[in-house]
Amino acid sequence: MLPEQKDILWTFLSMAFTVFALYAFINVVRHAREREGVNGKFWGTVFAGFLVISFLETVHMFDLVQGEQLLFFFKYIVLTVFLLLLSWGIFFKSEKIEDQSPPIIRGFFFWMAVSVSLAGYTNWLPQQRSDPPPKETAIAGDLTMEEYAEMGRVIVFGAKQVAGQKSIGKGQCPLCHTFDPGDNIGRCPNLFGVEERSHTRVKEERYATSPVKIGDAEPATGVVKGKPDQIPAAYKRAGSPDLIGEDYLRESLMCPTCYVVEGYGKEGDTKSPMPVISKPPISLSPVELNAVIAWLQSKDNPGDYSKVTVPLPTAGSGQAKEEKPAEDEGEKPVFVTGNEPIDEMINTLGCPLCHTIPGVEGAVGALGPVLHEKINAPKRIKDPNYKGKATNTKEYVKESILTPSAFVVFNEEAGESFPDGLMPQDFKNKLSIDALDKLVDFISQTQPQG
Amino acid sequence: MLGKKTGSKHAAIVLGLLVAFAIYLLPGMVGEVLAKEAFAEQVFAEEAFAKEVMADEAAKTGEGKPEVEWSQDVFYKDWEGNPLKGPVSGAPAPELVETDYNRYGFAPSRMILWIANQQHLYFGSFVLAVPIFCMIIEFIGIRTKETDPIMSKKYDKLAYDLMKVSLTAYSWTAILGGILLFTFITLFPGFFKYLAGIFRPVMHVYALMFLAESGVLYVYYYGWERMSQDKFMKWIHCSLSVLLNLIGTVLMYLANSWATFMQAPGGIDEQGRFLGNIWHVIHSTLWNPVGVHRILGNIVFGGGIVGAYAAYHYLTAKTEEERAHYDWVCYVAMFIAIFGLIPLPFAGYWLMKEVYAFRQQMGITLMGGIMAWLFIIQAVMIGLLFFAANSYLHNSMSRVKGSHRYMKYCKYMVLLLIVCFTMWMTPHTIVMTPAELKAMGGAQHPVVGHFGVMSAKNTAVNLMITCTVLCFILYQRANKKIMVPWATIGNCWIAAIFVGAAANIIYLGVYGYFLPANQRVGLSVPQVSTTLTTLFVGVGINISMFKDSESFGEITWGSQSKVGTYAIFMMAIAFTWLMGLMGYIRSAVRLFWHVTEVVRDNSPDAYTLTIGEAGKMLTFNTLFVWVQFVVVFWVASLTGKKAEVKAPAGVPVPAQQQE
Repeated sequence: MLPEQKDILWTFLSMAFTVFALYAFINVVRHAREREGVNGKFWGTVFAGFLVISFLETVHMFDLVQGEQLLFFFKYIVLTVFLLLLSWGIFFKSEKIEDQSPPIIRGFFFWMAVSVSLAGYTNWLPQQRSDPPPKETAIAGDLTMEEYAEMGRVIVFGAKQVAGQKSIGKGQCPLCHTFDPGDNIGRCPNLFGVEERSHTRVKEERYATSPVKIGDAEPATGVVKGKPDQIPAAYKRAGSPDLIGEDYLRESLMCPTCYVVEGYGKEGDTKSPMPVISKPPISLSPVELNAVIAWLQSKDNPGDYSKVTVPLPTAGSGQAKEEKPAEDEGEKPVFVTGNEPIDEMINTLGCPLCHTIPGVEGAVGALGPVLHEKINAPKRIKDPNYKGKATNTKEYVKESILTPSAFVVFNEEAGESFPDGLMPQDFKNKLSIDALDKLVDFISQTQPQG
Repeated sequence: MLGKKTGSKHAAIVLGLLVAFAIYLLPGMVGEVLAKEAFAEQVFAEEAFAKEVMADEAAKTGEGKPEVEWSQDVFYKDWEGNPLKGPVSGAPAPELVETDYNRYGFAPSRMILWIANQQHLYFGSFVLAVPIFCMIIEFIGIRTKETDPIMSKKYDKLAYDLMKVSLTAYSWTAILGGILLFTFITLFPGFFKYLAGIFRPVMHVYALMFLAESGVLYVYYYGWERMSQDKFMKWIHCSLSVLLNLIGTVLMYLANSWATFMQAPGGIDEQGRFLGNIWHVIHSTLWNPVGVHRILGNIVFGGGIVGAYAAYHYLTAKTEEERAHYDWVCYVAMFIAIFGLIPLPFAGYWLMKEVYAFRQQMGITLMGGIMAWLFIIQAVMIGLLFFAANSYLHNSMSRVKGSHRYMKYCKYMVLLLIVCFTMWMTPHTIVMTPAELKAMGGAQHPVVGHFGVMSAKNTAVNLMITCTVLCFILYQRANKKIMVPWATIGNCWIAAIFVGAAANIIYLGVYGYFLPANQRVGLSVPQVSTTLTTLFVGVGINISMFKDSESFGEITWGSQSKVGTYAIFMMAIAFTWLMGLMGYIRSAVRLFWHVTEVVRDNSPDAYTLTIGEAGKMLTFNTLFVWVQFVVVFWVASLTGKKAEVKAPAGVPVPAQQQE
């Protein structure tokens, strides 16, 4: 839900409580008339007051947005209901209080208490919102191989890493594969050492014949096994038609059933359970698929990219295939090149929705920390809870933009940390390198005005 | 008088002949349809082959282009396991853009559609379940008419009362269906257009079936008294309930086909083009398991609603007779609900198996991916159900004479349930700040973390079920004085079965910690088998021991405690919430697809909700539907005059009737 929308549950409950206040008012008036020695006017006024307050609170709920509704509900409406129930009890002086409300009222409170407790339980568990993956990762500027392999890692694991949580990116690979030595969840092969295996596997006899022979087309995908020159043009590599390790990795992604690792297939290891990565639902583009291959080829030796054989993409090559005329303009992802004025960049990226940023008009958001980074960044780097890699203000700001969960700032006013995961994790895909530098320069200089 | 009787006899004969004719035609028609289907398939395949050959030849010889374009089905395979080909008979799925979606400012469109859909489904589930109950209860009433006329009348009246409530709920369901349709058309016009293009004939058949359902329902309800006047007509009347259920089931299956197509499509190609065979589109891979799962779910949910309805009337009853009646209805409803609940997990397993077979990553997303936490919540709900069921049985026992012999064990069973439930709901990981994470030394707590894994959870839930079975056995024999000569041996066997089962379940649970995850999964099979053994063998021995037993006295209906009554409320809430939860999981596993892998959801609401957001919606849907149920029950109560209700003196516990 968007922050400016309404919370349906709390609105509904506030309406229900108003109906309850009406019931309590009628009940009290009726009893006041029937019973002797009761100050009917006084009690009628008290419960009419509760009714009016409940009604006004409900009306006010419609003016609030969901974050405010939650606070208002628990701060005021629950308090009102509590006081109403207390007054009701005092009115009956605890004489057979349990018989004064019909089962429908008791039932409602029971229903509500159990159901709301269940909703509470669900909010106690780890919260992870899953956004649809971008149709295609944007490429801006010339990438280094390190950045390209990192792009592959993000496709595999996603940009966000949460403590204790399995992190899954657009490629969904960790659902079935493991990547560390000795790790195995039994669904699909462990991919540690896959770069090395990719060279030897294509020479194995089993590869040549099972389940499809080299040179035969796999029926479901139409991919011709072991023939890199016959791969669909958009995915085909340049160079010699000889079968190399890169081809095996590409084939595994585009045609999982072309070769099935023993013990991991269906129907006698002749069918792979793995989806075709270049088709829905994963639908990796050629650039993305190559990024994954680059990561697979380099992941076992961090920092060493000498074994990567895929070519680097050029700027804009990511969108080349998707370019369409004006009717698709609405779907275009947010992206800033760095040529825009800083205000425009910040507004395009949506920073003012959550942050107060000195020097940017209208940037008075309160959901995230105030950006006084010239002062705050050095303090945070020294914070004992800081586990990031930054050593200076600019590095810290850059890290905060690209990996917001690396350090979650403590909100001193609220007495707890700002919510982790609120800040989008995909700025990497929305900024060119120039834009990132420009943004980092600006934010590193922010400080209280006056 | 005589003329009237003769007239009704004639009418009965004509109606009887019509029903007999319909019954005669039904298998023939079904057989014919199946035969036609098989024949059509064969012809279809042959034609397809011929056209393919001709097209190939034409292409080779360069004699123009083939007129019909052929494409591969996304799901169906031919005999060799290759994708089945079919003639392209529809437009490709649209690439939806923002203008294909409409919005209101106050809430996301998907939330509004979810509410509309869920409310309709809740009511639909109820109105489909009630005719099943009525059919069974009316049948029991007819069968017991000669042996126990008082009970027979009670059963008949109960079925009639349920139908009365259902009739109002039926109109309400139709209104909610209309709201759902308008919500869908107005908020998701682009997607609806595509779906309507594919399911056009199914939607029309659905509407016609609705008409048939209404007709039979009205005849069944309004003809109740008139057709109860003689035995033959009563049987005809009961047959109408069978017809009503048949039509209802077809209706549900047709509507299911839209949902199952969206989750696991078939009958179309990769571009979403219809391949000419409507049966393939309807009969996609999840159609049957979802259908069976929903029938059972409807029975459970319907039982929960009827139970809550009766429990409410029990609390408001003014006379002893009323209290006794509704106490008894509570028991019957709960018995039906639990009866439906036992096979429900097996239907669920079947559904999951088909999901895995369709796309493994979809299954893993459910059980090990982003949806996995929702299954933990499901586990908590099931734990809650067992708590409520045990609480109801414990409290119910107190109104059975002779139960004092077993009541002393209840506290130990409650203790066991608390321990198991705590283990059952212990999460594997929770949200933590980095400081908390550091203080705990990792994502899992060094001690409590052990209870977060499946070994502990499987053990806990199997012990809970075993405990419930034991509680049921004690309830069964509460007012029985066992007289068979082998009573001691029988008791020893029952004790041995339960002690052995508990030991085996715990042993397998502990053993699981020493196995790798992929092998550990296999331990759930012997654990469940052990639990089922206690159910079937334990209950079997227990019932066989009732031969020649003496009774301590009758059951005092109408003396159920408030705690026992609220336990029924608890079950009703848990059923409602759980049904919403599982529906959400099934639907949300499509992630950002309207139709998996074919029509992408490009609306601003294409994200998957956080668990907390989903939980709040489920709570809202639960509360909202119950507000409506209260209104519907109230409206239904306006139409009927207060019928005289007699105490069910000497009514045996239905479970004991198995004797």
